[in-house]
Amino acid sequence: MKILCVCGLGQGTSLILRMNVETVLRELRISADVENTDVSSASGMSPDYIITSNELAQTLAGTSAKVIIVNNYFDLTEIKAALQSQLN
Amino acid sequence: MDALKWVATNVFGTPAILLGFIVFLGLLLQKKSTSQLISGTFKAIIGFLIINAGAGVIVGALNIFEPMWKEVFNLKASSLGDFMGQEKFNVKYGSAVTLAMTLGFLINVLLARFTKFKYIYLTGHMMFWTTTIFAGVIVHSVGDVSFGKLVIFLAIFMGLYWTFQPAIVQPFMRKVTGNDNIALGHTSASVALLSALAGKYLGNKNNDSEKIKLPKGLEFLRDSNVITALTMGILFLIGSIILSTKGTPGAEELIAKAGDQNFIIYSIIQSFTFAGGIAIVLLGVRMFIGEMVPAFNGIATRLVPGARPALDCPIVFPYAPNAVILGFLGAFVGALIWLVILGNTVSYVFVPTMIVLFFHGATAGVFGNATGGVRGALIGGFITSTVVAWGQYFMVKMLISSTIPDTAMWAADNDMFILGPIVKFLAQLFF
Repeated sequence: MKILCVCGLGQGTSLILRMNVETVLRELRISADVENTDVSSASGMSPDYIITSNELAQTLAGTSAKVIIVNNYFDLTEIKAALQSQLN
Repeated sequence: MDALKWVATNVFGTPAILLGFIVFLGLLLQKKSTSQLISGTFKAIIGFLIINAGAGVIVGALNIFEPMWKEVFNLKASSLGDFMGQEKFNVKYGSAVTLAMTLGFLINVLLARFTKFKYIYLTGHMMFWTTTIFAGVIVHSVGDVSFGKLVIFLAIFMGLYWTFQPAIVQPFMRKVTGNDNIALGHTSASVALLSALAGKYLGNKNNDSEKIKLPKGLEFLRDSNVITALTMGILFLIGSIILSTKGTPGAEELIAKAGDQNFIIYSIIQSFTFAGGIAIVLLGVRMFIGEMVPAFNGIATRLVPGARPALDCPIVFPYAPNAVILGFLGAFVGALIWLVILGNTVSYVFVPTMIVLFFHGATAGVFGNATGGVRGALIGGFITSTVVAWGQYFMVKMLISSTIPDTAMWAADNDMFILGPIVKFLAQLFF
């Protein structure tokens, strides 16, 4: 399973999100390949899931991946809830 | 002795290998699997080598942009002169930068552990650029410096900056986010502070930017590649149209570079090439920062109880999405004004660093809105472009002209411009 964490520049914020997603996945005992990138590169890749904010999700509307929206990148509870509802 | 010398040249003297080694250690400390060890280390090495490739592409496009706008303003074609450029600079000083960045981070962790400033700086790509630019300033002001001295000086300076910058911004950060859990760790800190202060005195807090409805059509502005190409595209387009009608020998010479292609089309392609170059560099940076920062974070959280992460500027964007757009607009309009003013007064062709105009302008917008509403956000954006335009002029012309002015034109930004003279002064004092 491949998961992409996406932000506008693909550098800092998406990396923080990736670290938090990896933490949550460890808690959920799900193993996945998580990477981070910018929104333009993400449209050209084909992961299973894309995790991003509400604003960027609209730009990614054409992707074949399932888009998971997380608004607060630091709220582990929100990330956990979003992942649990989508991954099952 | 021979073995030591071999290691010094081939490991510490080859930045890509040194970086791979640091990432390898980081992954080892995190107890990653063998497969992750290999892929992480390789990605770090490849990433570093990619940066040079992207820097070459960017410089290629700037070599059209600069003479074009010089001709528009009728400036004498005094070129940047002799300088090393990012590629050569990386070969010679890349290892010192890499090592200083790593040691600087450890100093940050130690300061957080033993003082009341519990901030851990985690915006890895900015750590890399800031250290690179300051290394460029030092080498320019004091000439060839020894590896050891450069590393020690930079590590201490960066360690202090990464610890205290988030602390200084935190009172306003609390106002923006409404809590005390996260801090801003980014080189836009200076303009965030300035615009929060300007917003307080010049703005109107009651007119909060989030009350207004902005058109949905502006969403594309959140994609960094799009903003880069768009801003440069507008400038290349205007420049090429003016040049096409000018008919001066200088203009003819530039137009000839396009060959059979229409000059305006050729110029527009340059703006996309420039955006492509930036995308390449960022890909390279992402490849090693993505391995390094989680390792840094792992070390920090284990060593520093109650550590607060200082993070990249987009973390403040969700708190005031409209202010993000207003801040960028203020910065963009300001950049156009300063481009014309700088060209006509000090004869400098300002390269508006789009990523800076957006990310820094937007951050300034959010902070300006927190104290001064819509007006505060717009003023914050304008302040950003002012610091960026004049800062770039001073840095490229005076602080870094013999080393990496090419990098300073698009990768240097607010805090670096403000701290640059201090770095120069300290370097002259200590070296």
